Amino acid sequence: MRTADVLVVGAGPAGCVAASEAAAAGAGDVLLIERDRAIGSPVRCAEGVGSAGLREFLDPNGAPWVSRRITRVIFIAPDDTQVQLAEGDVGYVLDRTRFEPLLAERAARSGATIRISTEAVGLERADGPGGGHWRVRLRGPGGEETVTARVVIGADGVETMVGRWAGLETRVAARDMESCAQYVVGNIEFDPDAIYLHFGPGVAPGGYAWIFPKGVGVANVGIGVVTLRGDGRTVRQYLDDYVARHFPHATVTGLTVGGVISGVTVKRTVTDGLLLAGDAAHMINPLSGGGIINAMKAGRLAGRHAARAIGEGDTSARNLQAYHDEWMKLLGDSHAMYYKLKEAINKYDDDFFNRLARTVNRIPLEKRTLGRVVSSALVHHPSLVPIAAQLFVQEFV
Amino acid sequence: MDNDVCDACGLCMPLCPPAAIHMTRRGLVVDAVTCTGCEKCIAPCPVGALAMADAHR
Repeated sequence: MRTADVLVVGAGPAGCVAASEAAAAGAGDVLLIERDRAIGSPVRCAEGVGSAGLREFLDPNGAPWVSRRITRVIFIAPDDTQVQLAEGDVGYVLDRTRFEPLLAERAARSGATIRISTEAVGLERADGPGGGHWRVRLRGPGGEETVTARVVIGADGVETMVGRWAGLETRVAARDMESCAQYVVGNIEFDPDAIYLHFGPGVAPGGYAWIFPKGVGVANVGIGVVTLRGDGRTVRQYLDDYVARHFPHATVTGLTVGGVISGVTVKRTVTDGLLLAGDAAHMINPLSGGGIINAMKAGRLAGRHAARAIGEGDTSARNLQAYHDEWMKLLGDSHAMYYKLKEAINKYDDDFFNRLARTVNRIPLEKRTLGRVVSSALVHHPSLVPIAAQLFVQEFV
Repeated sequence: MDNDVCDACGLCMPLCPPAAIHMTRRGLVVDAVTCTGCEKCIAPCPVGALAMADAHR
């Protein structure tokens, strides 16, 4: 029977970084498995990341896995009023078909073994000295086999089963699930250095529509909707209507659909010999829907704590709990704050966003910081004050 | 589950209280035995691939 010290399920951003870090930290035998035939494909993502977070891991300058550098953010109000914010080193639109293979290669260079076309189909606990181990059933090209692992890292994405098999609560309420659809669109006009975020319940109830440039004249155009707040259309229909209205001459060359969990980190991300990281643990900024850098940061922590626990000879939930605590301090707690902000914003109608856009546009561009935008929102909508106050304490104190 | 329409994105899986939806090599499959007919998966499906079968109505 194959044994591993650490078995990482899922070679997305969380799993690849977790495998890298675990191997680099001396976890021993690290096995990274990926269900799909190619790491990084199919892409189910708008592929946008913030610059600061990305640079913690990789240098994007001139990198082949960057589709586009972004230097501007443009918010669009429901009535199509545009508000330009944030000029400078904002972020990047990635080419995830090239980005994730690079992360996987780094994991391999650190000493991890990678297996593609291999999925986990179940796991069971075997208690023993030093915290016991997991017997994980894998299905791959050669049929089924069982791998015994001291620590399992579940990085198996939005559809995670690893957590559920291990008795962790990873179910998602309908109000916290954003249904997303995205086209790769050509023949449209937009600023190729900007990302556009189009807000308002009349545009995208519970979410927003986006334009993320992939190149000059080519963009990911998508929409995320909490269908519980919607009008009965599927999100694909929302997207078709959006594109027809805003880009009637667009050529569509690709479709991506998927779910973004817009809740908060699951209450328990660890159990005996097992950690969850990334989308599998709902580690997504609930306001922006951003998950890639969150997943990489969580993977980094998960890999290090897995290696630490193995080194200490104690892979119990109690010893792995430090992973959960560190994640909550790093980002989990602020996600909870963003969730409250999102809930507050959800109460406002299209008219709120239209008025806010016009107020902000009266602030000169060079003075238009996020702080000033929030301030003007607060002046006009005092009910946002308590949430914003909490957020500011959290972020800046 | 209409597998001609389904893109196997897996969005429905964490919405399913009894974990009755499974990812297989041939796409997503709903286990009719464990499905309780709660319909939580139907509206959020991005492409409208899910509908309640007559047996559950």
